[in-house]
This record gives sequence, structure tokens and C-alpha cells, in this order.
Amino acid sequence: MTMLDVAADVIQTPAQTSAPLDVAKVRAEFPILKETVYGRPLVYLDSAASAQKPRTVIEAVSRAYETSYSNVHRGAHRLSQLATDAFEDARETVARFVNAESADEIVFTRNATEALNLVAASYGRTFLTRGDEIVLTEMEHHANIVPWQLLRDEIGVVLRVVPIDDDGVLRLEALADLIGPRTRLVAITHCSNVLGTVTPLKEIVALAHGHGVPVVVDGSQGIVHAGVDVRDLDVDFYAFTGHKLYGPSGIGVLYGKRAWLERMPPYQGGGEMIDHVSFAETTFKAPPHRFEAGTPPIVQAIGLAAAVRYVSALGMEAIRAHEQALLAQATEALAGMGDVRIFGRAPGKAAIISFLVGSLHPYDVAAVLDRAGIAVRVGQHCAEPLMGRLGVDGTVRASFALYNDGTDVEALVEGIHKAKRMLGG
Amino acid sequence: MTDLSRFEEFAEALEMIDDEEMRFEYIIDLGRQYERENPFPEAWKTDEHLMHGCMSKVWIVDDVDDSGCHHFRGHSDAIIVNGLVGMMTDAFSGLTGAELQTITVDHVRRLNLGALTTQRQVGMMAMLKHLQKLGRGNGAMAGTGDHDDRS
Repeated sequence: MTMLDVAADVIQTPAQTSAPLDVAKVRAEFPILKETVYGRPLVYLDSAASAQKPRTVIEAVSRAYETSYSNVHRGAHRLSQLATDAFEDARETVARFVNAESADEIVFTRNATEALNLVAASYGRTFLTRGDEIVLTEMEHHANIVPWQLLRDEIGVVLRVVPIDDDGVLRLEALADLIGPRTRLVAITHCSNVLGTVTPLKEIVALAHGHGVPVVVDGSQGIVHAGVDVRDLDVDFYAFTGHKLYGPSGIGVLYGKRAWLERMPPYQGGGEMIDHVSFAETTFKAPPHRFEAGTPPIVQAIGLAAAVRYVSALGMEAIRAHEQALLAQATEALAGMGDVRIFGRAPGKAAIISFLVGSLHPYDVAAVLDRAGIAVRVGQHCAEPLMGRLGVDGTVRASFALYNDGTDVEALVEGIHKAKRMLGG
Repeated sequence: MTDLSRFEEFAEALEMIDDEEMRFEYIIDLGRQYERENPFPEAWKTDEHLMHGCMSKVWIVDDVDDSGCHHFRGHSDAIIVNGLVGMMTDAFSGLTGAELQTITVDHVRRLNLGALTTQRQVGMMAMLKHLQKLGRGNGAMAGTGDHDDRS
């Protein structure tokens, strides 16, 4: 089977319904879940950091290298043509997945961080000047803070930060107040990687657009837990990464409205993105290739397309429903322990639980869980300002994905009991 | 001659525990014991004493006596790390700056804590480098110009 055979799938739009998830069948498709850790079955609750890969993704990557690998867009030979077709087909697949108007609105990057840096560098330097304002939120990942700070230090823009309430809900009225005559951009997460809070993007976009302000979204977590329709949301930019969406690492996506991308200068210079080069002048290709300097992540894009087909076949609504059931089970169990403090209680939140156990240090709790074969994240989760808002140095974070089941929740609860016994909490 | 008797005591104690789970519990108990018997003064928890690059906060204080021997005191806000910090500072106290530089990765490996998790093995190495840096910083290895900040 060649990559071209793999390409012809129909991507399910978010609105389509699907059968409930058969989690036993799903788990069988993830080879790593058969691994043991310290002699115990692996309980993987760190998918918000990076998700595991289904066999179809692993095989798509292997197949690409084994049957049709070459550089893209330039070779005059058969393999190059096959690789180019598969790479561009991956772009089409991603475009359909987010319901972009055209594949030309899909820029491949290394990750979401690079996608956000691209917007900051290209859009920011072109359309923003000293004194212009960018509105962020208190719950942003560093990837959606630092690029704007670099821009601030370079050209003198001003950053405004929308607060959250104690449940981790974004204070929309404060957002409305912060958008003023100098606001030129709203940069906001779709889903907090710490709190699980899902932001009301349609309302936010309507609010911002009402003032003529475009919106860039960090969708790293948002796209994993529910379907995303960029046209319905009407967002101007939507950035996400492949590795959290069950795809390979080293591939990210920037969706950008064509009208914006066409007006933006290149982010980096080099091969692949040029039209003509002379020492006097260089002209650039049209988007998206204008923003893809150098050899792109070819096989990673093909792997991402396989991941997108995989989750689409399961159905994003089925995935969301499955994760919500796990979230409810885990929240109830942890809250029932009495001394577990959960951070983030926003209605409709995604299946991410940040917590502390009594007075125990999160690092100690995570270390005991690790010994029990349970993988969680611990620390500040690349969201230091949010930790400051919460008044903690760090938390333990358990994040649930389509391959987790009720026994994983039970293992987490038992692991916390064990931590309390061992650490005296 | 470098006196590593305290280090040997730890290494032998850990060697006697052949169960990884028990070794893990030994470190936790050690962390608690240091906390209980030798509490780290709050006044020492300053940025000056903070060891950067750790997942939990680690402070290490170095006191050099008249004969040029370093006496370390360390603390972490996480119990497990506190056990490891206590063991390392205890094991390698009383050495001169030059003697500290002779401690190698093999010593850390002998403690056989790598099986607890790779992360802790890496943390132990970072701690050793930090102690060695303190050893150099006090003039014992004057002139090497080697100040490794990556620990």
C-alpha cells in the first residue's frame, strides 16, 4: 500500500454523531499501553503533555519511510512526486478536519509554539506598532505569553491580561472592558492545559470582531478534546500541535484566514518558500508555502494526517463524551477523598484535573504515583503566571485521553491513597 | 586520603535493601528523619542558596572550616528530594574542595538509586555537580576557571 492509497479518507466534520467509544478496542490499538513500568501496568495520565500513538500513526510513519520517502516540491522523480502528494494530501486532511475553507490556510510548523511565534513575528511586526495592545488571559501557556513579550520588547506593544475567577472561568466582562481603541489582537487559549477550562470562543470572537480586533487561538488542548470548526468559530488564527492529537512530535499547524496570510510577510527565509531569488531581490511564494522555509516535517505531516483520520473515524463527539465520563468519575472520586484540592471547576471543562493532596508536595505525590506505574505531570505546567494566580508553586496534573478507562481512574485514586500512606499526608 | 566513610555507610545500607520499593521508602524515611532531627533554618532558604534547575526547591548551604573542609547542609520542600539532598550533603561533607572534585558519576551509581527513576539519577548528578561547584567556588581549586552553571 502506498501513501496515496492511505490518503483517500473522508474526514468527519465535528457536527456528525458517532457510536460510543469502544475503549477496549481503542486500547488495543495503542501498542505502548501494553508496556509495564516498574513491573506494573502503565497507567498513562499525561496525555495533555503528549499523547500516545495508535498503530495506524506508527505504521503511516514507517510506511512513508519504507515505500515513498523523498524530499518534497522539488524532485523530478517518482518518489518525490509520491512524497509531495502525500505531504500536500496531509494538508488537505488537516484542512477538512478543522473545516478550513482551503488547504492554503494550513501552514505546517514544528509545533504550536512555532505557530504562535509565526503570528507574533509576521502579523505582529506588520500590523502592530508602539502602544498597540494585545489582550491575553491569566491562564495562558508560556507559548502564548512569551512570543508576545518578545514582540513587546521589540516594538513596544502593551499586553493586557484578562483575569479568571476562582473556579477558573474566564471573566468575559473583564475581557470586554479590556478591549479598547488600541487593541489590535486577542491571543487566547481554547482550553487551559492546567485547569481544563474551555473558553467560549464564539462569544470572544464576536466581541473582538465587533471592535475590528482579530483573534489568535492556542488550540493545543482544545482540538484534542472536541471538534473544532474554524469557520464556525470565525477565528483568525488557530494554532495546534500534532503530538497531543495522537500524531508524531515535530509537526504543528497554524490555521490562518487566507486574507491574513496573504498580507503577512515570511517568518523565516530559505529554500521552499521563495519564488525567485537574486542578490538584488527575492520574491516569495503564496501562502502557505511562504511560511514553510526549508525542508518541512514531511513524514510528521503524513503521520499527523493518519492521526486526524483516526480520531475522525472514532468521532470527536464520541471522544468528548468518553473523556467527560472519565472526568466526572475522577472528579467525584478525588473530591470524595476530602483533602484533595482540585484547581479548575469551570462548567464544561475538558478532562484535565490539576490537584494537590493535603500538604504533600506535588513532586512527592507524583513520585509515588510513578512508582505505581501511573504517569502524571507535576510542576508549573508551563503556566507560571497561572500558578501565581492560584497561589501555589505547582500542582499534580492528571489528563485523560480516548484510551483511558475507569480502571485508570481507580488506579489514580489508589495511588493517591498510597502516597498519603507513604508520605504521611 | 579522602574520607568517604559516610558515603560508604549509605552505599552499604542501600546495597542491603534488595527491593526497589523498600529502597524508595528508605529515601522517604531519610527525608523525614533529616526534617525531624536536623531542621533547615528558614533564614537559609534564600535565593543565594537555591539550587536552580530542580523540579522542587533545593537549598544548599556550604560552610568551610579552618582546614578547608566543606560542610554542607541541604533541604528540599519535597520529602523524597530532601532524603536525597540529605544523603548527598551528609555523604560528601568533610571533604576539601580538591577531594570533592574526585567524586565521580560512579560514586552516584554505587548508591543504586537509578532504578528509582532516571529523573532522580539525573537529579543526584546535578546535586554532585553543585557540591563540586561550591567546592571550587571557595578557592580550593583556584585557577581552574571551571564554573559549571548547568547543574
